[in-house]
Amino acid sequence: MKNEFFHAIKIVWENCTGCTRCVRVCPTQALRVRNGKVQLDSRRCIDCGKCVTTCPYKALRTTADNLDSIKKFKFKMAIISTTYAGQFAENIDYPTAKRALFELGFDDVASEAMVTEMMSRMIRDYINEHKDTRPIISSHCPAIVRLIQVRFSSLLPNILHIEAPMSVLALYFKDKICREKNLSEDEVGIFMIVPCPAQVTAVHQPEGTYKNAQDGAISIQEIYQQAMCKMKEASESDREIEIYPGGLSWAISGSQADEIDDGNIRTLAVSGINNVIKILHKMENHQLDHYDFVVMHSCINGCVGGVLNVENPFIASSRIKRLLRTAKHKNFKDKYFYDMFLKGKFDVKPLEPRSIMHLDDTIKSAIQKMKQIQLISQKLPGLDCSACGSPSCEVLAEDIVDGKATIADCVVLLREKQKK
Amino acid sequence: MPVCEAVKFSMPEYWYIREGYEERTNSFFDKKPEPELIKEYSLGEHDFVNAGNASGDIKLSLKRLGVAPEVLRRVAIAAYEAEINMTAHAKGGDISGNIYAELIHIEFLDHGPGMKDIEQAMIPGYSTATELVREMGFGAGLGLPNIKKNADVLHIESEEGGQTFVEILIYFE
Repeated sequence: MKNEFFHAIKIVWENCTGCTRCVRVCPTQALRVRNGKVQLDSRRCIDCGKCVTTCPYKALRTTADNLDSIKKFKFKMAIISTTYAGQFAENIDYPTAKRALFELGFDDVASEAMVTEMMSRMIRDYINEHKDTRPIISSHCPAIVRLIQVRFSSLLPNILHIEAPMSVLALYFKDKICREKNLSEDEVGIFMIVPCPAQVTAVHQPEGTYKNAQDGAISIQEIYQQAMCKMKEASESDREIEIYPGGLSWAISGSQADEIDDGNIRTLAVSGINNVIKILHKMENHQLDHYDFVVMHSCINGCVGGVLNVENPFIASSRIKRLLRTAKHKNFKDKYFYDMFLKGKFDVKPLEPRSIMHLDDTIKSAIQKMKQIQLISQKLPGLDCSACGSPSCEVLAEDIVDGKATIADCVVLLREKQKK
Repeated sequence: MPVCEAVKFSMPEYWYIREGYEERTNSFFDKKPEPELIKEYSLGEHDFVNAGNASGDIKLSLKRLGVAPEVLRRVAIAAYEAEINMTAHAKGGDISGNIYAELIHIEFLDHGPGMKDIEQAMIPGYSTATELVREMGFGAGLGLPNIKKNADVLHIESEEGGQTFVEILIYFE
């Protein structure tokens, strides 16, 4: 099969022991162990990173761009996720952590937090303009957008069809820098500093984007590592740093929803992929139509829970909240930015489904398949032990019907047979 | 209108068939073909925690078969309401989801105590729900009207003191 989907999650074959831990936690059943090694179904993977956190052998890891890749651009810009603010110990203040990025070679640094307030306004307008679609689903978490594409495609029209804040900033700065510095688009490198594999994938294979202004995605871990070596220089630098504490909390589940809620917009915030799946089932049954806006994050507690962060998600959110309380509030206002929004520059194309749910092309043939699956399932022990390499007995039955496994793969049945 | 057992024994019953589906429906009940797949569930009295699981599972099966989202939604709502009715108003019962290539036929047979007046129960807002049920947030009197709105066929047989039998048909196309 042609590999048409980019994934930030990569398998390190030599580390894989075939233990099936990852197979059991994958929310889209994208992983199998076959011949003692893990395999990833590119069509199903949503880059949520659950397998990466679960694997004790580092056989699944996230690949992102490295810092060297910024060198090929004349002007280098970093756009940092709001989680960045929660990563550093409290003796390093946020402006210093931001200054360190200049020491690493970036010519300018902007934070996602800069536009969240303006985004809130745009989102509220969108919600009020789309009264016939309820609830509107935030497009903030790329793993959730992909989850909806593969498992809940009937909800695709509910997704907010505006780019997420970091992509919006990329579009804005690419345009602005080219204009002001008189540079061509390929001379300006816009790099996202991201907390999770889903965001790496979103940079390299964005969904529904008209124009991708993002040139790479570097993990917060890599930046942290390198920034720590530049802290001395950063703390001595007197470079003016703008921070927008008001938007910093967007990395924490609940904040975005609270901000959008102006008293007339009813919101719901959900985090953790398993919670999200339950909510999406309810939404699909129209049991949540009384909500106007739903924000879902694949990671527990929001983006602070992303696997490419350094700090524990709860400590990171505590630090960010502290920063919010102590820093002076500041607004970003730019007419040019709002004009770009009005001109539709931040719009997203209607998202396409990538359904993995259908057993076959027609209902008739799918029924035959389901019958076969039921028959095979009855023979299987129902222990869901995953020793066969499939996540559950039912999925093994499905794999057998699809010709991707045989009943001999069931270790429990094999043992019973040997006993006889 | 199809002739069924209930008429012979003059058990009170209610029929609703969406306009345009009369012929297909009559032929279905005349032939009563064997379903391709059967999904069976049973539900206890006031088991509000598990009420919704059967309709959720039926919906998931249909989704895997490739049934259109709009149809899925109607099946989910109609089956969910009937399931809740069984929990809230009856002493539990059995559910059977009979899947065919072109339709789903879902049967709900409860353990009583039956309905006094079916026609009245079809009026939106009419409810016989007990205090307990209302406290749980159910019993607004919209269950049966909501099933009717979403199903292509709704058939109810019930008698005070006896069991209630509800069946719905939803065509995939």
